[in-house]
Amino acid sequence: MAFDLIDDTAIPTAPEAAPPAARSTGAQARVGVALAAAALTACGGGGSAADSSAAPSIPGRSIKLSTTGHSYPSAASDEEAARFLLQAQLSASDADIAAVRSLGFAPWLEGQVGASLGTTGWDWLNSQGYGDVLSTKNYYDSSLQGDYMAWNQLMTAPDPVRKRMALALSEFFVVSLSGLDFSWRSHAMAHYWDTLCTHALGNYRDLLEAVTLNVAMGYYLNTKGNKKENSSGRQPDENYAREVMQLFSVGLYLLNADGTLQLDGAGKPQETYTASDVSNLARVFTGYDVDQSQNVPTVIAQNGGGTRTVGNTAFAKLPMVLTASNHSTLAATFLGVTVAANTPGADALKTALDTLFKHPNTAPFFCKQMIQRLVTSNPSPAYVARVAAVFANNGAGVRGDLAFVFAAILMDNEARGPAGLSATEYGKLREPMLRLVQWARTFGAASASGAWKIEDLSNPGLQLGQSPLRSPSVFNFFRPGYVPPSSGLSVGAVAPEFQLVTESSVGGYLNYLLDNLDRGLNKGDIKAAYTSELALATSPTALSPSALVQRLNLLLCGGQLSVATQNLITTAVGSMAGVVVSSTTTGTNLRLRVCAAVLMVMASAEYLIQK
Amino acid sequence: MPLFPPQLHTRRDFLRRSGQLALTGTALPLALNLAAMGEAAAFNAPAGDYKALVCVFLYGGNDYANTVISYDDTSYNQYSTIRGGGAGQTAGGIALAKSALAATLLTSTVAPLDVVGVAHQYALHPSMAGLANLFNTGKAAVQLNVGPLVKPLTRVQYNSANKTLYPRPPQLFSHNDQQSIWQSSSPEGSKVGWGGNIGDLVLQNGLNSNSLFTGMSVTGNAVFLSGDTALQYQLSTSGAIKIKPATNATVFGSANVSSAIASLIRQSRSHVLENEYNKVTDRAMTAEATVTAALALTPPTTEFPTGNSLADQLKMVARLIKGRSVLGARRQVFMVSLGGFDLHDNLVAQQPVLMDRVSAAMTAFYNATVDMEVASQVTAFTASDFGRTLASNGDGSDHGWGSHHFIVGGAVKGQAFYGTPPPVSVGDTKDSGGNYALADQWHVGQGRLLPSTSVDQYAATLAKWFGVADAEMAGILPNIVNFGTSAGRADYPTDLGFML
Repeated sequence: MAFDLIDDTAIPTAPEAAPPAARSTGAQARVGVALAAAALTACGGGGSAADSSAAPSIPGRSIKLSTTGHSYPSAASDEEAARFLLQAQLSASDADIAAVRSLGFAPWLEGQVGASLGTTGWDWLNSQGYGDVLSTKNYYDSSLQGDYMAWNQLMTAPDPVRKRMALALSEFFVVSLSGLDFSWRSHAMAHYWDTLCTHALGNYRDLLEAVTLNVAMGYYLNTKGNKKENSSGRQPDENYAREVMQLFSVGLYLLNADGTLQLDGAGKPQETYTASDVSNLARVFTGYDVDQSQNVPTVIAQNGGGTRTVGNTAFAKLPMVLTASNHSTLAATFLGVTVAANTPGADALKTALDTLFKHPNTAPFFCKQMIQRLVTSNPSPAYVARVAAVFANNGAGVRGDLAFVFAAILMDNEARGPAGLSATEYGKLREPMLRLVQWARTFGAASASGAWKIEDLSNPGLQLGQSPLRSPSVFNFFRPGYVPPSSGLSVGAVAPEFQLVTESSVGGYLNYLLDNLDRGLNKGDIKAAYTSELALATSPTALSPSALVQRLNLLLCGGQLSVATQNLITTAVGSMAGVVVSSTTTGTNLRLRVCAAVLMVMASAEYLIQK
Repeated sequence: MPLFPPQLHTRRDFLRRSGQLALTGTALPLALNLAAMGEAAAFNAPAGDYKALVCVFLYGGNDYANTVISYDDTSYNQYSTIRGGGAGQTAGGIALAKSALAATLLTSTVAPLDVVGVAHQYALHPSMAGLANLFNTGKAAVQLNVGPLVKPLTRVQYNSANKTLYPRPPQLFSHNDQQSIWQSSSPEGSKVGWGGNIGDLVLQNGLNSNSLFTGMSVTGNAVFLSGDTALQYQLSTSGAIKIKPATNATVFGSANVSSAIASLIRQSRSHVLENEYNKVTDRAMTAEATVTAALALTPPTTEFPTGNSLADQLKMVARLIKGRSVLGARRQVFMVSLGGFDLHDNLVAQQPVLMDRVSAAMTAFYNATVDMEVASQVTAFTASDFGRTLASNGDGSDHGWGSHHFIVGGAVKGQAFYGTPPPVSVGDTKDSGGNYALADQWHVGQGRLLPSTSVDQYAATLAKWFGVADAEMAGILPNIVNFGTSAGRADYPTDLGFML
């Protein structure tokens, strides 16, 4: 059921104030003619200065990280380097391992923060022609391109640390393709992803504002078109007000700086906000709608007669704009702060977002979940406190500096030290989508057609049970506090990613690997090269498979496979045909050996649980 | 072979429930707990019979006011005014036209009275012809204004600062917590649900030959079916997944690789998370052959709607019920779900699809149980995070509390309403003494209903029919001790009476 974007009642007459994000004013009037896809790249948002065929690459930041308090500033082995890389980014390669070993963790991370952003999801969509309004494929009605974009971004990006952090952020500030149902939703989702990438190594406060005014988020949590109270009893929509507190900033319960619950005198948790806070805060988010000032509609004839008017993609990249007459004039009191009646909307928004940003809960609430995404499901309170302290102050008096927060997470002794490698509850279940991305990047997967068409892989029985930017709800694929039922976890321990683990999904994942490791995704278009691995699989003797298994252990597992598992895999692979008479048959058999080894590694619990 | 550690049921139950009780904020008499949990659990299951409960969870918080819609003129007009309806009882805002409701009018024999004395009539959403027909032929009932309560509450008590005397369920209006509270009486983080607790009692009484098939979910992970011994077993709408890398004759051409994988993925591990993962795989492989055999029986020929994920799930449940003797089950609890009910926006536009899916799927499922001659042995019931506001936000409604739900089956005393109809109001009128006007006593602002029936009472009524003995009820529903005659609240009966 597609909703036509052009909703006359929703178009604001004029924006009340300039939207906070810088945007270019070089809009060109376009009439409804077919245009080359590249030229459809809209100006606006993201800091691009001029209307050009593709936005210039967004540069990184130059920062200097401190190593104070970090007992492990560098990798003493390839395994330590790989372990670090698998937490920091999406895969490990020989070159990455060498670079990490040579530079040390902090300088290497500084380099990653300094790297430019690479092709944006938005530009990629347009480069593939998905912005063409006249295509008979009706791209404006399709979510499919959003899936292609997400997988392509993760599998090919030149800045994998930033992408890893953006993916973690997409599981905190959740918007899902599955919940978007308007024209150009894939472009809107791409811009949301690009927004996360733009700010992933920047500042939390900027990110919070960009997310709040983002069009995809506006549709997802109903800020778009949210109107003030009226005399007939209509009330502001409370969806964003509730979720921005519950999920994106302060959370449900008061926390200590180390992420533990602040209990009251009777030992009970205390709620951070009340229903009244939600209803009041909702007033701040009234009056917003999509910015249609750069819209150029196209009239498209429909099969069976009649026409349909489709706008251009410009709105999807612009922050939402405020119409004063739709903004609440009531006072709003939330979290101990009052916005006076008749406060202009932009000021009210600033007050609200500043309040959420500065609330003492936000640092531990956010930081603990980022640790859970990157390193371990059950960080010690001390670990959370150390990272939350960096959120509060990056060392130069700045609050919310995400590059420093992520660096603190990765360089902390609890992430780098050897203790975690032998602790029976340390680590986390690798997310299914990350396993596939890791496979693609590690083994040189490339799209022969260049189209990179990887679809939504959310089906648990037949695929991965998870797909990037396809959370089933604003609560992400799994809850931070999820405990697998009847599990052997110690009291208070959690395992969020296990919410995806069912009797169907464990099988669906393995079957999916079996079907695709050799053939490649999308019916063989996206195939792994396995170049170095094939070279190690040349002999049927016991020795060479062992070198192969050792390599997979290093690159896929950071060296965390036990000797017993390596031997089991080596023995099985060693028994396979490896050398026969003709060279083509040999090639096939070698590839089968490699695929079998990869499958066995990726099926083992020691791989699945990342430590 | 099972990988879970041996169970010391009663002690473990007691410890777990003590933790659970702390979260719900109730202090229960110790003696009652021990009596409920110390003995071998009593269960009512005449030899050879079979019963199944099917929880249909509507994720997102279903809008009660446009599902079970006020139809008598007094109530309809109030509904229409509040929801922005047009003049002459026409559609407008988020109010439906009265004329659209005639076909789905619920013809109960008695028109229930609310506290103000208004005799209510209700109609279902126009897309729910199937459910309306089931109601009108006595096979479905409506439970009015049910929601989580720790103990009975009035609106004044709800507003009271004394949370010890007048405890509220924690985290009202929060999706994930209310989903968890409906399913397990505890907010998010809970490990055991009342469906799973019922399953534990089933296993303690040796009613099922395989613990794995007591609680079966055709939807994703949820706490409802998790018990201590009765674990949730999950399968997809296409059946149990056979793990090919572990069961194919050869993998990448090698039989050794296949057997290596088979042993690798079921291994016990000393790392807790590794072990948890392999336990699930082990369960999956152990159960697959049996489940596949159960599903190989000729399925019921009943027609199920297509393009309807809830119908797909219920169709699978029907097939599992058909195969119950292969599964060795005499008592089963199932869970299915549908999402998309969080209609802050586009309520009127989006509801028809959702309501149709619920009605058509539950009707087809009922028909399947008739075809399989188990209609009186299978009871389906709906549940949801919460109801929603009666007030509109322009084109939708926001998070609420109490809601109206359906119970469907041959053993249901249908064509009737249970519970008390709430007055149709969003006001906050008080008299000079600080007492709310009658019309405003059953909501907590914006028409968010204050439940007049608790989830515990609703669940206890279903559990009792299923065979759970009264003495066991507090063990599976901790707050039930605050309701009923033994708590001095005969106005909140522990048996709501909707089951035969």
